[in-house]
Amino acid sequence: MHGFISQISLPSLLQQILVGLSRTTILFIVASGLSLVLGVLRIPNLAHGSFYMIGAFLTYSVAAAVGGKAGFWVAMVAAPIGVALISLVMERGLFCHLYDREHLMLLLFTFSFTLVFGDLVKIIWGSDFRSVSIPPVFQGSLSIFGLPLPRYNLFLLVIGPLVALGLWILTQKTKIGKIARAAAVDREMVGAVGINVSLVFSAVFVIGCFLAGLGGALVAPTQNITQGMDHSIIMEAFLIVIVGGLGNIWGALLGALIFGLTDAVGILLWPQFAIVFPYAVVVTILMFRPRGLLKSTW
Amino acid sequence: MPDQKIDVQKIFWVMGIGLLFLLLPRFLPRFYVYLTALILLTGLLATSLNLVLGFGGMYQFHHAVFYGVGAYSLALMLTKSGLPVWTGFIAAPLISAIVGYIIGLICVRLSKLYFGMLQISLGSLVWAIVFRWYSFTGGDDGIHGIPLPKILSVSHGAYYFTLIITAISLYLMFRIVHSPFGRTFQAIRDNPERCEAIGIHVRRHQLAGEVIAGFFAGIAGTLFVTVEASVFPDLMFWTLSLEILIMCLLGGWFTFFGPMLGAAIMVILRTFVGIYTEYWTLILGIVLMLLIFFMPDGVLGMIQKAGGRGDGVKGNHRL
Amino acid sequence: MKRAFGMFVCEMVFIVLMVAPLVAADPIKVGIVDCYTGPPSTYTNDVRDAFQLAVDKINAKGGVLGRKIEFTTRDSKFKVDLGLSAAKELIMREKVNLLMGTINSAEALAISDLCKTEKIPLLVTFSKSDAITGEKGHRYVFSMNENTSMAGKAAAVALSKKPYTKYWIGGDDYEYGHAIADGVWQNLKKLKPDVELLGQTWWKVGESDFTPFITAMISAKPDAVIIATGGKNCVPFLKAAETTGFNKRVPFYMHTATELSTLQPLGMDAPEGVLGTSNYFFYYPDSPENKEFVKEFQQAFGRPPKVGALYGYITAAFIAKAYEKAGTIDTEKFIDALEGMTVDSPVGKLTIRPYDHQVMLPMFMGVTQKSPGYDFLIASDIITISGEDVMPTIEEIKKSRGQ
Repeated sequence: MHGFISQISLPSLLQQILVGLSRTTILFIVASGLSLVLGVLRIPNLAHGSFYMIGAFLTYSVAAAVGGKAGFWVAMVAAPIGVALISLVMERGLFCHLYDREHLMLLLFTFSFTLVFGDLVKIIWGSDFRSVSIPPVFQGSLSIFGLPLPRYNLFLLVIGPLVALGLWILTQKTKIGKIARAAAVDREMVGAVGINVSLVFSAVFVIGCFLAGLGGALVAPTQNITQGMDHSIIMEAFLIVIVGGLGNIWGALLGALIFGLTDAVGILLWPQFAIVFPYAVVVTILMFRPRGLLKSTW
Repeated sequence: MPDQKIDVQKIFWVMGIGLLFLLLPRFLPRFYVYLTALILLTGLLATSLNLVLGFGGMYQFHHAVFYGVGAYSLALMLTKSGLPVWTGFIAAPLISAIVGYIIGLICVRLSKLYFGMLQISLGSLVWAIVFRWYSFTGGDDGIHGIPLPKILSVSHGAYYFTLIITAISLYLMFRIVHSPFGRTFQAIRDNPERCEAIGIHVRRHQLAGEVIAGFFAGIAGTLFVTVEASVFPDLMFWTLSLEILIMCLLGGWFTFFGPMLGAAIMVILRTFVGIYTEYWTLILGIVLMLLIFFMPDGVLGMIQKAGGRGDGVKGNHRL
Repeated sequence: MKRAFGMFVCEMVFIVLMVAPLVAADPIKVGIVDCYTGPPSTYTNDVRDAFQLAVDKINAKGGVLGRKIEFTTRDSKFKVDLGLSAAKELIMREKVNLLMGTINSAEALAISDLCKTEKIPLLVTFSKSDAITGEKGHRYVFSMNENTSMAGKAAAVALSKKPYTKYWIGGDDYEYGHAIADGVWQNLKKLKPDVELLGQTWWKVGESDFTPFITAMISAKPDAVIIATGGKNCVPFLKAAETTGFNKRVPFYMHTATELSTLQPLGMDAPEGVLGTSNYFFYYPDSPENKEFVKEFQQAFGRPPKVGALYGYITAAFIAKAYEKAGTIDTEKFIDALEGMTVDSPVGKLTIRPYDHQVMLPMFMGVTQKSPGYDFLIASDIITISGEDVMPTIEEIKKSRGQ
């Protein structure tokens, strides 16, 4: 029982691409946060997926508590900030003592957080599926050549580039970004000139986790908010970061685009093995460009 | 040579432990015998990972693939081919070793995190194919009720088989670690650039390590089939790989028997804490955090360090 | 008066003498292996809770054969290896009389095989693979819930009465999705030979945005679409359907679309007019038995029962009645008693078919609709497809078992 999508018209292709791109937005936002933490702090943060999940659950809770039309927008701001606060406590309390440890140790340390967060989410939010309503402004679809394009997806298409631009300004133009880039290359040097590297690292970690929370908040209205969201996103985000180039914001964007596209193309070409395609693409890219497509900026 | 004396002592230890394991089914209820077999084969898997992880310093992020390939190879041979039963037991680890060679060939060009992520991608490819290829692998439902040779299905047959094969495998791996190859391997872990400079072919050694680790993981896979008579795609999913990594860390990844101990701790923890609470992963997570903070060398690593200081034994010879 | 008092004392002594040794008898131990972590737990918690509710009632009446029913659960976290070793632990260490569970098909099949060699009955609750009582069925395994071939057949029966001829199929690209789609399509072709399949769309497991697939299906302009997606995917799919207006352009059928676990989280965001099938609604059938059950469940757990609650409840009923009939806790006699057994349930009388050990559950097909008094959509225009009509025939079972 395998078939192909036989009728592909130009409008439907365009529409597929637009919708696919909006999904890429979420992937990009989550992956860019991961990339930031990995690039500057050298922490392969598996708990990034947990932050994404917590972001979505917080969005649900805040939206339900505030209620009404404002609920969603309050949640959209509050949830990522909530996640950022959790990450701040984590970083100041635990991670800042471990920066000199090996990558592998840090990886397992963050993995232990995924275990703890996974069970905490289960304790706090229970096992029922949760759903957040799309805010009234973005409900329904626009019609493009007779085919529906959800308004919310368009909203995501706008958000994505904004986040990318914001991150670019942050890393390239601000003082903290410049220090972070320098510290990533040579910690001791930056420390020697009298800058408190530890605080810069803390800020980067919090910003990275904020992005995970933002991803979770943005995805909440389109998805089923459940336990296990962390697992499904984290591997994809890691692969995107690796493909794009560690710590490179534009790399994360490129990686997310490639992932979004191969996903769609894979389903068109060979539906039975569509899940194989993203992995195959990563393998191919890493075979020819062992350090990712774009240069590590740090 | 003081070594001689230690060796006699060691032989006694080994014989004592061996006897204990042989007599285990005499006085332990059936479930605990099964659990011991599970610990042994999981420990073998973790030890095989540690060959490349602890002794080779390679970021082997997706070791479960070799385990799964071994298990599936045996399962498919037992259910789908008319070949004599025991050829399956010999062929399965060899197939795992070949997969190890192929994946290794692609991965060893990279290092550290890149190595690990490329391996995860390659391993996930294998997983995805197994997961989706219904007509051949049974897809996500897996294969159950695998017909095993009679000798393994009689009471405690699987246990003794697991015990003997694990013992032989551990002995072989121990010899490998302490061979000239093993020493070179550890030197590469400590300083790859210097090894390269003095003319050691680093990548070739790492590739060989990958093949050996794959082979022994494949053996662990066949033992899983022996004990459980089932295979399913979870056996090669990346979460399992992380669990094995944790076992190595838990027990002590710079020691030879640490992963075995780590596997025992993990299996016992999830079995018995699981009886009392659904939240054993929460407990595991907290245990892990404490461990990384206070015992970065793992349980056995810690014990040996403490003991080593007392005896004045130098750190390099680690059991 | 005095005499009556004497009688009363005698009676009391008699009762105490009678009951004391019975109460002291070993309990009947039931082990439940299931996934209580992650998305599937929204289904499995109801199985466990309803089972507990029923068991408490049975025990309050003195239990079965003078024995209490005790049960213990193990969380397998949707992992087959954990489920398998938990099952072994329950059989070998806890020495349970029988096992129940699980929602994961691979796990159910693995444990089923274990139970075959250990000669321990396994009552499957929620795993929907038809291989459990079909191809891989054996003496010791029973299914307490519908399976993919039953759901497929039920949908086909209902869809064959609709005027649609040109169909499109879309679904989750894994065993469950394909099995449901196959089930619907094969049966639909038999019942209505002029149906035509325009094409199919399959998305990967864990797909979260269904909009591109929905628009692809809309642009193919079929009369109706069969959606073979399940579990946690139902919620985002219906959401995408509402956003894109899919339900208004093309009618579509989705198994479990009308289930409470799907519709409740969506609140008023769910699309109207979606065809769905389910074994159970807390508001249907509108019978005293169902109302009583819903009331008890609501009181005990503070929420209305979902479909899993029916499975848990009838499992307890079957266990109690079968031991009662067997008159002993002997496993073989228990199985003999269970074959062909009938119990009362919130959805009416239910029977286990002796040949394949499958409970003959009726299927309810309804259409999603907003309804006053509910803050989520419910199924309306419900038609009942009887258990006999949805079961695969014994010949089909024999064929799948290669007999």
